[in-house]
Amino acid sequence: MTPAPSKQREMEQEAQSSQSSEAAAKAVLLEECEEQFGLLQKLQNEIILADTEANDDQSNEAVNRLIAVTSELEQWQEMEPKLLTTSPEVLLAVGKEELQRLNNQLKMVLSCSQAKLDAQKKILKREQTWQAEKKEALNAVCEKITRLQRENEKSEHSVLQDMKRKINNLKDYHGSLMEMLSDMLAEHFPLPDPHGNGTKKKRAAAYDAEINLISLSEIIERLTNKTLETPHDPYVTTDDTFWPPYTEMLLRNGIATRHPEDCNKIRLENFLDRKILNYNICIRSMLSSGLR
Amino acid sequence: MALLTPYSKVPELNTATVLLVENEEELQSKLANALVQYEKDFNVNVRLARKLPLPVENKETRPRIDLIVFLVNLLSERSLQSVESSLAHLHSDCFLGKVCFLVTDARCGSHTQERLVSVRKLAAAHQCPVLCAEHRTVDGVNAAAVRLLNILKVSAGMSPIATTALYLSSLTRCSVTSDLEED
Repeated sequence: MTPAPSKQREMEQEAQSSQSSEAAAKAVLLEECEEQFGLLQKLQNEIILADTEANDDQSNEAVNRLIAVTSELEQWQEMEPKLLTTSPEVLLAVGKEELQRLNNQLKMVLSCSQAKLDAQKKILKREQTWQAEKKEALNAVCEKITRLQRENEKSEHSVLQDMKRKINNLKDYHGSLMEMLSDMLAEHFPLPDPHGNGTKKKRAAAYDAEINLISLSEIIERLTNKTLETPHDPYVTTDDTFWPPYTEMLLRNGIATRHPEDCNKIRLENFLDRKILNYNICIRSMLSSGLR
Repeated sequence: MALLTPYSKVPELNTATVLLVENEEELQSKLANALVQYEKDFNVNVRLARKLPLPVENKETRPRIDLIVFLVNLLSERSLQSVESSLAHLHSDCFLGKVCFLVTDARCGSHTQERLVSVRKLAAAHQCPVLCAEHRTVDGVNAAAVRLLNILKVSAGMSPIATTALYLSSLTRCSVTSDLEED
């Protein structure tokens, strides 16, 4: 039913708008219009009758739809395409208008699809750059993983090597410290000079004891060796080989202490980081008291 | 109960009639003006209503209505409710391509999302299309008018390539996908 009014309206439009149509073509068109309109009225009357007859059953919409679609399908299958009218001017005008409309629509479709294509290309580019960045990140992370794995594998080996290195460093340091200590002691605390200044008495007294006098470094060496080798008995007996001022100096500065019961035994005082401090103190005191 | 029936009257020559049903009456007039302005090839007759059923007095003088558009403002709950109650006054034949839903303010908050889902479910139940429009700017109203005119042309039979309203409604009907239903 609906194609008929559309054609009819179109024909009316064409009839109204075309200026150069001949009177005959116009008459033919008007006749066709009247025909179609009469058909329309008939159909409409039938519909109204059918409406008033059938009670308004609120049947299922889906069923309604199905019926409508199938009946429309049948109609379309039966209908054969036919020309509006055989008049060539009308056909020409209608054709021109149709083609122009189609042209416009196709232009719109073209621009729309091109815009879509451009947008998609932009998206593609963006996604590609994103992917490249992520790939770079992935590579960097993989490299780091392999590096860490390699480091983990040889860790035992390297720990050993680190330890060896540290031990060697310490030995060197220890050696240098000992050298310095012996140099310093030799310079500042030499053996008392038997030919030095002094009266006859002193000379005599010194001479007796000087035969086997040991230097301060020897004393300290003996003390440390005794402490390290026999920690349960770190006492060294002082005898005449120990020059008394040296022992007095060691005792006074807290580097050595006497045995609580035996006054002839001394031992090295047992604190680690105060040794250096005490060495400093005793050197200063020695220099200041002028025992040299 | 008088129902609005689609085919009870003879169509007028070279005219299409559209009925805009809106509870708030704010978009109706703007849309009506835009519709009339935009269409040059045939006459567009716009009738406005707040809800169905239409008053009985005008029944004889009222022309055949080719398209019924329900304007739903998603910001108010009453809009949707009045549309639902108006739907009961439509003859079931109307849903074969002569009804369309137009929603506005679909992006303004969480309540609107829920209402949009319910409008879409309603439209899918009746198999009618749903248009979303932006009614605060002139451009939005014009765009909505152009889209409505396209649907109107088809349902009034003006489309020359023999597209019927039923066919168009099958193409453009709102479908509710399963993830929407899960929401």
